[in-house]
Amino acid sequence: MWRANGKYVLGRILHGIPIILAIVIVNFFLIRLAPGDAAQVLAGEAGSATEEYMAQIRAQFGLDQPLWLQFLNYMKNLLVFDLGFSFRHNREIASLIIERLGATAILMITSMVLSIGFGILLGAIAAIRDRTFVSHVIVILAIITYATPLFWVGLMLIIVFALNLGWFPTSGMESIANPVTGFAWGLDVLHHLVLPAVALSFFYMALYTRLMRASMLETLGQDFIKTARAKGLGNSHIVMHHALRNAIIPVLTMAGVQVSGMLGGSVIIESVFGWPGLGLLAYEALFARDLNLLLGIFFLSSILVVVTNALVDVIYTMVDPRIRLTGGRHG
Amino acid sequence: MFSVKSVVLTSALALSAVFTGWQAQAQQQGGGIVITTTPEPSLITNALSSAPTTAEIATKIFDGLLEYDMDLNPKPSLAESWEIGEDGKTVTFKLRAGVKWHDGAPFTSADVAFSLLKVVKDYHPRGKGNLGPVETIDTPDELTVVLNLAHPYVPLMKGLSSLEAPIVPRHIYENTDYRANPAVNAPIGTGPYRFVEWAKGSHIRLERNPAYWRAGLPYLDTLTFRFIADSATRAAGVESGEIDVATFGTINPVEMRRLEKTDGISIAYGGYEAIAPVMMLELNTAQAPFDKKEVRQAVAYALDRQRIIDTVWYGFGKPARGPISSFVKGAGAWTEEGVRDYTVADRLDIAKKLLDEAGYPAGADGKRFKIVHDVATFGEDWRRMGEVIRQQLGRIGIEVELRTRDYPTFVREVHNNYDFQMTSTWSIGMADPTLGVQRNTWTKTINKEVPFGNVSQYSNPEVDALWVAAQTEADPAKRNAHFHNLQRLLVEDSPIIWIMDMDLVAMQRDRVKDLITSPLGLRGGLYDVWVQP
Repeated sequence: MWRANGKYVLGRILHGIPIILAIVIVNFFLIRLAPGDAAQVLAGEAGSATEEYMAQIRAQFGLDQPLWLQFLNYMKNLLVFDLGFSFRHNREIASLIIERLGATAILMITSMVLSIGFGILLGAIAAIRDRTFVSHVIVILAIITYATPLFWVGLMLIIVFALNLGWFPTSGMESIANPVTGFAWGLDVLHHLVLPAVALSFFYMALYTRLMRASMLETLGQDFIKTARAKGLGNSHIVMHHALRNAIIPVLTMAGVQVSGMLGGSVIIESVFGWPGLGLLAYEALFARDLNLLLGIFFLSSILVVVTNALVDVIYTMVDPRIRLTGGRHG
Repeated sequence: MFSVKSVVLTSALALSAVFTGWQAQAQQQGGGIVITTTPEPSLITNALSSAPTTAEIATKIFDGLLEYDMDLNPKPSLAESWEIGEDGKTVTFKLRAGVKWHDGAPFTSADVAFSLLKVVKDYHPRGKGNLGPVETIDTPDELTVVLNLAHPYVPLMKGLSSLEAPIVPRHIYENTDYRANPAVNAPIGTGPYRFVEWAKGSHIRLERNPAYWRAGLPYLDTLTFRFIADSATRAAGVESGEIDVATFGTINPVEMRRLEKTDGISIAYGGYEAIAPVMMLELNTAQAPFDKKEVRQAVAYALDRQRIIDTVWYGFGKPARGPISSFVKGAGAWTEEGVRDYTVADRLDIAKKLLDEAGYPAGADGKRFKIVHDVATFGEDWRRMGEVIRQQLGRIGIEVELRTRDYPTFVREVHNNYDFQMTSTWSIGMADPTLGVQRNTWTKTINKEVPFGNVSQYSNPEVDALWVAAQTEADPAKRNAHFHNLQRLLVEDSPIIWIMDMDLVAMQRDRVKDLITSPLGLRGGLYDVWVQP
């Protein structure tokens, strides 16, 4: 089975290459439709620029070249995985992205673990204890957190847990005033991670709870569960061994979507909590018209989407052996 | 209301108190402060950019030839003394001996000549304004610099701070592509603080320069700049004590008024005398209806400046009388004598009459015409100011539609295409009107290529002649007379409606002492700031 899966994943990724290329091409021209260029933004920030200054910047950024030439240069560099140079940050884009990737990854992975874990747990409980007080509370909480704007959740957590209770820092990823190193640094980052990770988990946890509950209810009503009950199996055994695996598939699908949105999805949380991740970088790049950087981030997220989709398919087969992957032939 | 004088007075008192030991508080060596600012700069060498955050950080790393006292008189910095030639066309600076760059190399006159002529004049966005007439620079010895000017230029002596003309190391920059030089993001200067690290998206850390030429200074061991994108989070950081200082514009006025009442937090006034910002409404004088002076004056009469200041900006400013901020009064350029006063009691009646005369009578529903107001995209408060303006102009029958766009779109449409009717902005006047105020109303700065110039497209030969005369006039009294006439002419014509002389206030924790000791405020060197443990 593993070899078949390996072939399948490779096939999917190869199929992904033309898709990624198409995404890059569309993005390249699409983001240039936005009015204003980087030179104007920089001049605006300067507040008092001269014509020579504008011309210098345009020449340096290559903005004075015709669009087709800019495009050819970009594609040529991309072939050797050179994402180009961000003039705004005065840095290679690849190194800029890698530097920020860590912060986003730790935030996203933590919040995924939290939201999937609690989502499955709460959803399952709500389904098993259907039409009881517990299930009503869970469903109502899920609806409320689902409908609450993310930035508001973030700010409320800051006000309650950072300002009033003083348990956590208000923002950032590490202590700036009194920096620490080594193991203490790890603990320091964890301390800073709690509020943003919890805030980011809320929305997805609500989503997973609802998905899990609906899926679990459906599963519990199916014939094979009745058969299991008829065999005299215990309730917990039925839930753990028969229902859970079947009910979990929609949650996995949703989790795949969440990973795909990983690079851009945490813009709000990153900006509210001053978390130095990629979402913030992309957001700032958009408003500064740092188009090369934006393209670089888009390029990476498109790769991530293709790879994640393939991996989620593989995980399906592990959770539910009835699902078979059929290489590149499945269309 | 706060005045420049009182700030100068109180800070002078505080300083003398400290020096005579009259007060129990004495400066303490050590510790550090965290300053929050936004947005994260693109580079931290302000010889190549005048972006506010770049300036806030780089002015701690670099020195200028001069510094200024609160009345904008020059003080020694890298230059120990100076002499202006008889004809006003040469300025000789004697440099400080024994100054070292952060990498240990000696600082010499060659660095000054290189910085001013080859870097600042060509690359700093205000370099042409500050150093325009400087044609050549002689360096007769290692500690002497002679600037040769095409004509006398009084503003020169106002623009040699580390904000306007930072001195950069020649041995690092010569024969390189300056903007691509790695040193622009890990700068080497002569200033009180050395660059340590830049954690992108998070913070920049500076540390005390132990070899700083002001012996014993700075007091602080570290100075850290934190970048937080969300304004509410910044306020929370100040409240929790994680942040010691929030620079101007990083916390909403309403939040500042709330935090001000909190124990241990106060507002840091002063420190913008040499920046002199004015908030304004620019009118497109090239098209109807604002091509008519009467219509522009009607708008000037209709706006209740004090009310805008109180309701939108929570009192952080005072009504503007004209293009020059009253906060630079000390230099004598500012006047209200003979300047038309738009705040008279019957101003609304006058405004309506002016509109009638201009050919815009009120319709049956009281409405005269409709305009679009492009709100500056500097934050929510600007939108709220737009709403107040809409309400106030509604009273004289002008309907206002507000338009908000993202920043690059705003700059392109308004400042590059001149496709607008009325737009809000703020403009820094600088220590001398020639350096800052001039660009908003001089015919030569009508230029679609360069944003934030004369977007009103106002062109008046009389005004142009006065700006040009002020550039070359050597006698300060005569120059001020030119500026006074300019204020009378410009306020009468009102191509721009000047709304507020802005208080560029910062927010600080009280443990931070002597934060504002320069007319550049947080854009000064901050070498005499200290913290109470």
